[in-house]
Amino acid sequence: MRHLKIALTLLFVAAFALAACSGPAATQPASGATEPAAVTEAPVVDPNAPVSGGTIIIGTPQEPGMMNTLLTSSSIEDAVTSLFDEGLVSVNEKGEYVPVLAKELPTVSEDGLVVTWKLKEGVKWSDGSDFTCDDVKFTMDGALSDLSQVSASGYRDIETLECPDPYTVVATFGEVYAPYLRLFAYTIPDTAGPLEEMETWDINRNPVGTGPFILSEWVPGDHLTFTKNPYYREEGKPYLDSIIIKILPSREVGMQLLGTGEIDALWDLTEADFPALQGMAADGVTFVSTVTGENELLAFNFGNNDGSAPADPSTNPHPILYDLKVREAIQYAIDKQMIVDTLLYGNVKAGNSAVPVGTFGCPQPASEFNLGKANALLDEAGWKMGADGIREKDGMRLSLKIATTTGNQLREQTEQVLAEMLKQAGIELVIENVPSDVLFASWESDGMRDHGTFDIVMYTTGPGTDPDSHLYSSYHSSQIPTAENEGTGANFARYINADVDAWLDEAATITDTAQRKDLYCKVVEQINKDIPRLFLYERLSIMGHRADFHGLKISPTFVDFAWDAANWWTSKK
Amino acid sequence: MCPFLPQGGGGTRILHVKYFQRRVFAIRPQERLPPANPLMLIYFTRRILQSVFTLLVISMILYGLISSVPGGFMSAYTERADFTPEDLARIRAKFGLDDPIPVRYAKWLVSMLQGDMGSSFTTKRPVMEEIADRLPNTLLLMGLMMVCTLLVAIPLGILSAVKQYTWFDHIATTAAFAGQSLPVFWFGLLLIIVFAVTLKGGDGRPLLPGSGMYTLGEPFSLWDRIRHLILPVSMLTFVSAAEYMRYLRSSMLDVIHEDYVRTARAKGLRENLVIYKHALRNAIIPLVTLIALDLPALFGGALFTETIFAWPGIGRLYFTAALKTDYPLVMAILMIESALIIGSSLLVDFLYATLDPRIRLS
Repeated sequence: MRHLKIALTLLFVAAFALAACSGPAATQPASGATEPAAVTEAPVVDPNAPVSGGTIIIGTPQEPGMMNTLLTSSSIEDAVTSLFDEGLVSVNEKGEYVPVLAKELPTVSEDGLVVTWKLKEGVKWSDGSDFTCDDVKFTMDGALSDLSQVSASGYRDIETLECPDPYTVVATFGEVYAPYLRLFAYTIPDTAGPLEEMETWDINRNPVGTGPFILSEWVPGDHLTFTKNPYYREEGKPYLDSIIIKILPSREVGMQLLGTGEIDALWDLTEADFPALQGMAADGVTFVSTVTGENELLAFNFGNNDGSAPADPSTNPHPILYDLKVREAIQYAIDKQMIVDTLLYGNVKAGNSAVPVGTFGCPQPASEFNLGKANALLDEAGWKMGADGIREKDGMRLSLKIATTTGNQLREQTEQVLAEMLKQAGIELVIENVPSDVLFASWESDGMRDHGTFDIVMYTTGPGTDPDSHLYSSYHSSQIPTAENEGTGANFARYINADVDAWLDEAATITDTAQRKDLYCKVVEQINKDIPRLFLYERLSIMGHRADFHGLKISPTFVDFAWDAANWWTSKK
Repeated sequence: MCPFLPQGGGGTRILHVKYFQRRVFAIRPQERLPPANPLMLIYFTRRILQSVFTLLVISMILYGLISSVPGGFMSAYTERADFTPEDLARIRAKFGLDDPIPVRYAKWLVSMLQGDMGSSFTTKRPVMEEIADRLPNTLLLMGLMMVCTLLVAIPLGILSAVKQYTWFDHIATTAAFAGQSLPVFWFGLLLIIVFAVTLKGGDGRPLLPGSGMYTLGEPFSLWDRIRHLILPVSMLTFVSAAEYMRYLRSSMLDVIHEDYVRTARAKGLRENLVIYKHALRNAIIPLVTLIALDLPALFGGALFTETIFAWPGIGRLYFTAALKTDYPLVMAILMIESALIIGSSLLVDFLYATLDPRIRLS
């Protein structure tokens, strides 16, 4: 006994000593947190005018592991790196492109092949070196390297990238790359090191950026502290002294900490958190939200769900859903506004367009909720009402399976409401949910969407800032996943429309925004006629925050939530 | 035959124990060790070989299971519209995910045997560094838990047995049942809501911090560290003390009814002396085994507890690595934990074999 006690005591003491050593750098000064507080003591004339100083703690249930944008693998990493990593161009809270390190948006030559960026002069990296065209070139080389974990699309099409002077970038494309505006949404300093040693670059954990903040302390699993970048180009900014990214166990715990004021903002909330957020208004909690352009949607399977994954669904069609009348009937039978009002507390808009907002946004008229029309269409299609209230045709019941990700309460509630609504039209909806990894699994992992082994799947997707790749991969006939193309593409509905193919092909070859938008709008309208996907409601980016944390404007791309961090400020005392 | 043990049924249990104590704790360096026993050597060699083989099989099963999880590491990229098939192919190749699982396993095993457990997919740091970062935090949490558990469980277990079927025993046993049955993830959230949200301290701030190891932005203080430890350690103690307490109670009950305890009483010894000197010493031996088998948990940490209370330990590291399907990190943690569990049961076996000849002969 005595020996055991001693052993355990020793163990305990050793553990404590070790843990104490690895704790926060206790000696590190709190970066002048008290100093600016004294400044704010001065009489404030306008309570809405930003004041300098203070620290903001932002909670997130995810944990970043990498500070080098080229090697990131999760959205929290993209979000956190946006505190120091800036692009030539970024996206504001309205979904519009704005120049950041470029003086203005890039210009494009008549034939669409030469794109020119003019860079802001006098921009410095956080290590004091100048930001020039060489860094832009290095960024492209990084994205194209074998080790890169970012999308190389666009960069791959650049034939030459030239630097006529340090502040001009001229890219010559082999063929027209329509979404050129989204290139160089991040930059990597050319001092980072040789490309083949990317995995061990110092900037992976000690990043160098042009943005308003730099990483000053990183305790894995606990928090990251960002402090002012001394070389930031705007005088007097950023307002905040520091931003702490606190790793939290879960959103639920984050909501509690937001209420008690232990954190100032909570990253990545969902529509399901609205009731809790509104309930905490009295505790000084508010939120910002912005449409993401994404829709919660139902994708219908035009092909047979027997796993044959036909490239052309007409050769082996879905016995129920291939018929347009059935899809139209389903659309008529769904009261989207009721879902919005009851499940989402009226905070979002019903979904009606594949590209609802942004530079290329094509809002569409709301779909009609009309049970009479739904029933008439199904009668017309030969589906007769059966004894149990479910329609039948040639001995087959009008019964469809719906799948979404398990464990998502909002989605599960939506399914139940949908089942109730469709029942009114004599359609049975059977809920068979699967874990998200199974729903979204790839072709090689027998993904149910890729192989077409579903009737209806419910999930979220959207066009991002430029609809080019999203519309193409979702609705172009070449993007139907099959054994031949090894599961390429996201046209899970197996939707084929020659006009849509032609419009999408044409849009990819021009750079004029207005012309491209016209073509995309034609696609969007045609989709609403053919209904390969049915849009339920528009998804939002939501961040909860304390009312005394000001200036938080999240952009629809969401991962860039810190695009305007230089203008954040706090009136917390 | 072991030459230095009384033969036949000569040793009553109490003799046994006294003998063990002398062998294990009172050995002196200058004392000449008995010649190596061939039977013993064979037994030890066999057990070691068995353990190595078990570890190999475990690694095979773990690797196969983890690699077959749907989604996998690539799912972080496949859902993004701007990633073309070329991008996905490049990333798959970079992480060696093109190879069939047996080939990947073989590569992993070879580098593992050379002492290289690889680098994390997400942080690119060697997995041993990642683990070393978190180990002190887990040792602190679990070490404290172990101490508190013993401090609570041993007295309660003894009292419960001595006062069998009294109201004290009933309350303690019910509490132990509750501790064993409560779902940790639910109980943890409940503690957070009560102590870190609802109840306020004198300064209007929550009574206890609900997450993390220390208050951000404040210099290190022991009191702050202790405050952060209170909730997770209390919860862990409640749950694991329940097991220990019930174990000790039943083993105490066994011993109390043994002949030698009655003899001790008949000799006129005071009841305290009978219980604590004679009965407890024997009753606690199985508990020591239990503790030895639980020691690997000091490394592995408590998955749920660390996750709920955002404790930056191995358990939480494992949880996030599993979420991101960071194969090298997940495998490394699981393998070290497996090795420790097998190692500790091997240790227990050796101790038993040294102590009890009947085991190695069977």
